[in-house]
Amino acid sequence: MSTYQVEKLCYRAVHDLPFRDALSGDPDGTLAALPLTDEERDLLRRGEVGRLYEQGAHPYLLSHIASLGLFGVTRDSYRERMRALLE
Amino acid sequence: MAELVATFGVPHAPIFPEQVERGEAQDVVQLYQEVAQHLDAVQPDVLVIFDSDHVNTFFVDNLPIFSVGVGETTAGPNDLTRMPRYEGVPLDPALALHLRDAGIRDGFDLALLQDFEVDHSVLVPLHFMTPRMHIPIVPFYINGLVPPIPAAKRCYALGQSVREAIASWTADMRVAVLASGVFSLDLGSPRSGGPVPDPEWTERVTDHLAQGRVAQLLDEATAERMWQAGNIGGELLNWVAMLGVVGDRRPRFIQARDGDAFGAWRWD
Repeated sequence: MSTYQVEKLCYRAVHDLPFRDALSGDPDGTLAALPLTDEERDLLRRGEVGRLYEQGAHPYLLSHIASLGLFGVTRDSYRERMRALLE
Repeated sequence: MAELVATFGVPHAPIFPEQVERGEAQDVVQLYQEVAQHLDAVQPDVLVIFDSDHVNTFFVDNLPIFSVGVGETTAGPNDLTRMPRYEGVPLDPALALHLRDAGIRDGFDLALLQDFEVDHSVLVPLHFMTPRMHIPIVPFYINGLVPPIPAAKRCYALGQSVREAIASWTADMRVAVLASGVFSLDLGSPRSGGPVPDPEWTERVTDHLAQGRVAQLLDEATAERMWQAGNIGGELLNWVAMLGVVGDRRPRFIQARDGDAFGAWRWD
């Protein structure tokens, strides 16, 4: 299963400021327009970074979600969701 | 003819600039200063930097194993690092093209990078050691961070090829080489934010470097071992490439911390 589109979203959020603003301002609308699966859209919308990591998305790219505070994810909640995978 | 005058190894944590701004991480400041003293003493005309991009300069749509940065200038950081922005950082396109040409002749498949910016892994060391950005650089990227990564022996051989390419460069210049990266760290993954994953590996690698135990280090630095030390562990490959330039010469100075080290090798 390819995580390319998820990784591309994370990359664009850092390097493409209008895209970052769109994601922050209108996450549902922006996600709907991207070539993601429904499951990916759902996991992103709910900030399920641990699940996305398990699916193989690169952690450096996922970490931008926390750094940018996207989808309600904070550095603390990011860390918690990742740590939960160790249990 | 060009002359190799020194090589260095330092970490590049994106958090260093803001920590130092707050008056923290004074040990880091001192260690960068110690390396910078060696750098200043040898007066290099150019700095070749073996580095791992953190999926900023490159993306996974087109990911080379090795790539050489060519152009007049670069800028950055092109990531979210909290540090000053640097514009007009000088490159050395003639040397970069020569290194690429010589490397390809030697059988290394070196990609060409142009019109690019750089992330904290290039700029944090320069921020601390050469903040005037007065020394042109040649960013020489090694993919150590997006598996599968190249073998340590391959990266060492690349360093040897670069050593010969420097020797064959006709410009009368003093060349230094910098390895940017750490030995043990996790970023964005379940172990991140915890203690350094593998201080024992850091100590072992540093000891091998201090004693010039090249063969042993190359044997031990497998992808699995580096991964065990953290998902950033592949940055060791930058030091391995630098070691290919050095051979088994001992460092003039090397100091380890839990997950990283600072070192300098000189030829005077």
